[in-house]
Amino acid sequence: MIQLTATPASTLTDEPVHIRATGLCPSQIVIFQATLEDEKGNLFHSQAYYKASEVGEVDLDHAPSLGGDYIGVHPMGLFWSLKPEKFLTKLMKRDVMTSPFLVQIKLYDSNLPLAQIAATDPKVSVTLERWYRAPGVTRIQVQEGHLRGALFLPPGEGRFPGVIDLFADIGGLIEYRASLLASHGFAALALAYCDYEDLPLHPEKIELEYFEEAVNFLLRHPKVLGPGIGIVSISKGAEIGLSMAIHLKQVIATVLINGPNFVFSTPQVYRGQISQPLSFSPQLVSINALGLAQFQYCFEEARSKASETFFLPIEKAQGHFLFIVGEDDKSINSKAYAEQATEQLRRNGKDNWTLLSYPGAGHMLEPPYSPLCCASKLSKLHLFMQWGGEVTLHAAAQEHSWKEIQKFLKKHLIPVVTSQL
Amino acid sequence: MFQLTATPASALADEPVHIRVTGLPPLQIVTLTASLKDERGYVYQSKAFYKANEVGELDLMEAPSIGGDYVGVHPMGLFWSLKPEKVFRRLIKQDVMNSPFYVTLNLYDSVYVQVSTTDQPRASQTVQRWFSGPGVQRVQIQEGRVRGALFLPPGEGPFPGIMDLFGGRGGLVEFRASLLATHGFAVLALAYFGYEDLPKKLEEIDLEYFEEAANWLLAHPKIQKPGIGVISVSKGVEIALAMACFLKHVVATICINGPNAIYEFPLRYKDLVITPIPSFMERVQMDVLGAMRLRHYKGDARDELNQKSVLPIEKAQGAILFIVGDGDECMNSREYAEQALDQLRSHGRNNGRMLVYPGAGHLIEPPYTPLCYASPHRLGSGILLWGGDPVAHAAAQEHSWGEIQKFFREQLTQTRSKL
Repeated sequence: MIQLTATPASTLTDEPVHIRATGLCPSQIVIFQATLEDEKGNLFHSQAYYKASEVGEVDLDHAPSLGGDYIGVHPMGLFWSLKPEKFLTKLMKRDVMTSPFLVQIKLYDSNLPLAQIAATDPKVSVTLERWYRAPGVTRIQVQEGHLRGALFLPPGEGRFPGVIDLFADIGGLIEYRASLLASHGFAALALAYCDYEDLPLHPEKIELEYFEEAVNFLLRHPKVLGPGIGIVSISKGAEIGLSMAIHLKQVIATVLINGPNFVFSTPQVYRGQISQPLSFSPQLVSINALGLAQFQYCFEEARSKASETFFLPIEKAQGHFLFIVGEDDKSINSKAYAEQATEQLRRNGKDNWTLLSYPGAGHMLEPPYSPLCCASKLSKLHLFMQWGGEVTLHAAAQEHSWKEIQKFLKKHLIPVVTSQL
Repeated sequence: MFQLTATPASALADEPVHIRVTGLPPLQIVTLTASLKDERGYVYQSKAFYKANEVGELDLMEAPSIGGDYVGVHPMGLFWSLKPEKVFRRLIKQDVMNSPFYVTLNLYDSVYVQVSTTDQPRASQTVQRWFSGPGVQRVQIQEGRVRGALFLPPGEGPFPGIMDLFGGRGGLVEFRASLLATHGFAVLALAYFGYEDLPKKLEEIDLEYFEEAANWLLAHPKIQKPGIGVISVSKGVEIALAMACFLKHVVATICINGPNAIYEFPLRYKDLVITPIPSFMERVQMDVLGAMRLRHYKGDARDELNQKSVLPIEKAQGAILFIVGDGDECMNSREYAEQALDQLRSHGRNNGRMLVYPGAGHLIEPPYTPLCYASPHRLGSGILLWGGDPVAHAAAQEHSWGEIQKFFREQLTQTRSKL
């Protein structure tokens, strides 16, 4: 009798699942398929072909996929290779507290062409829950002063190391990374800065005082461990994170994922001083065979001619940096910017940084097992903007970098004395 | 005052167009776009950014594009980089006789990464791209079992005869045949499934059907004797090679990105049955967008166990030209061509030749045809990856088209002169 097991059945979305099938015919070729429906009803699928062993078993921890959405031994391949039915739809969990994503793992025991799977019943299937928060994590809507966002707290009395989570300037409030960080013991503030509640739709400038207010808010909170806080930031969020690290001495550990070492698009202001953006040369866009636009080199013309004043004075920051770079980032030239920033630190005699550079990883580095989104339609343009990344390498980078991020934050935010108690 | 000229305004689709702009501010960066609506109403677009010279002029024969759908000096770049608004569509002209494609060229006086419907171009030109020339005749063919369309050049003839075979998409694809006819060949675009009363699906290759078509073509008063050529792509290559092996009237065969062995369905010719090499469905690979790469899918034609399925190409009398896109993601085309040539050599034959185009994909078509990187193959089959780097693919199409015509002229005219 064919049996399919996937354990644990209910997990945090950044934890692995062990998938096994038994009771097959020896050397039989089978298809594993994963299906997920997001909160808007979009369907995502992935599939892989496996060959059963001489005793009729397939253990995804050991067996190689022969073909499909990935090949080789990838125990979590079915998760990170999920692809949308609707072209380039990104998988994003909005409600991180009250519901998980349900992932159906299905087994087909005949050698079917993939196009026919949808019309066929699987031999056996199991459904898994993938949660974005651990049991006991609480969410508090934040509307203090100018601040807009959501604070996620781990269960228990605390105190917990505080982290501010910043995404790119696409607007709204993205919560899933903060809720996961809280599930790993951090007090994480998902901070919105545009197009959310009463925040401006398209701010004319980024006021660093807003982010300073957020740092003070977090440090004031009774469940937050001081005296400093950390930042996890990506893209435009990483530009802001870098400025925060430079100007605010309470920022002692900053994770910069695929971010620039200069201001782009919207200027920054702090205490009356304006940091002008580097100009963007849209004519340097490169559009690939499928019409996906690569903006990676659109700052190069300005960057090569820019005076030093355009580059953020990273040497002034007192805390530590973790640079996370996807070498295949097709939206901005992440590797070059991170290298220039670390070079600037080196020249100033600083060694307060680590650079993790991942070949084949793209712009959208997310928690582990998140499917690669290689391009998105930007609402401001009608183009598809390419993020880059090769599926398998990107997945490996997400797994590795997530562990490194947590290690880095814990190392710098939790005083050694305390952790020995 | 901005002026945009594109000459000739009306031309064959395989002829280049010279695009020039004058009256620009010196060194101004401008946007040039092309757009086309196909016969089903689907829109295709392309764009490139150029910098005017010191006297405010732009000549696409000399100026490099600095960004957009292509980079560098590519006078016909706006044509071959046309992309469907609705992704994964493939541009194929249906009516090749009575209407051209209309390509509208627009000039915008600054950088427009995305042109909206309210943006007005500063200058505009529409060019016509025809798939047949004046005097070319199209004759619908329903003779015996034969189904297709015969394209005849103007005049009395006789003309060198060619049979044109497309691949596994079925139906009748006419645009290559009509263009070849415009260049002086009598071409029978032959359907073999999914057309009129032919079988809906391909389940076997009945070579006697193709023999009937070849005999019919040769018997036509306007076709030169004693031999014909065959041009084929993809699945069509299996058929064309089989014809070359078994039908002595096939004296020149062009095989574009196809196998030298029988796959998927058996081939039957009189008493002979060639069984197919099995495919390994589990070896399909999905790319990041879910398009299927079938390159590793088919069984190995060099495997000892599969030799009975390999076509006996040493029996072919005429010349064979393999055209290979090295970036083909659908088939291991180079491998097939190399094996076929090895087979000829090992039998002391030297009637085979190969042209390999690095970076070209599976769908090598007449020049300036937009690269189709992936598209649905048949209804319900999913999206297949064809592959190809746009610039390399465009260059391959331009070069191979000249080689195709040269090959047929040499091989088919020589035959005639032997009389």
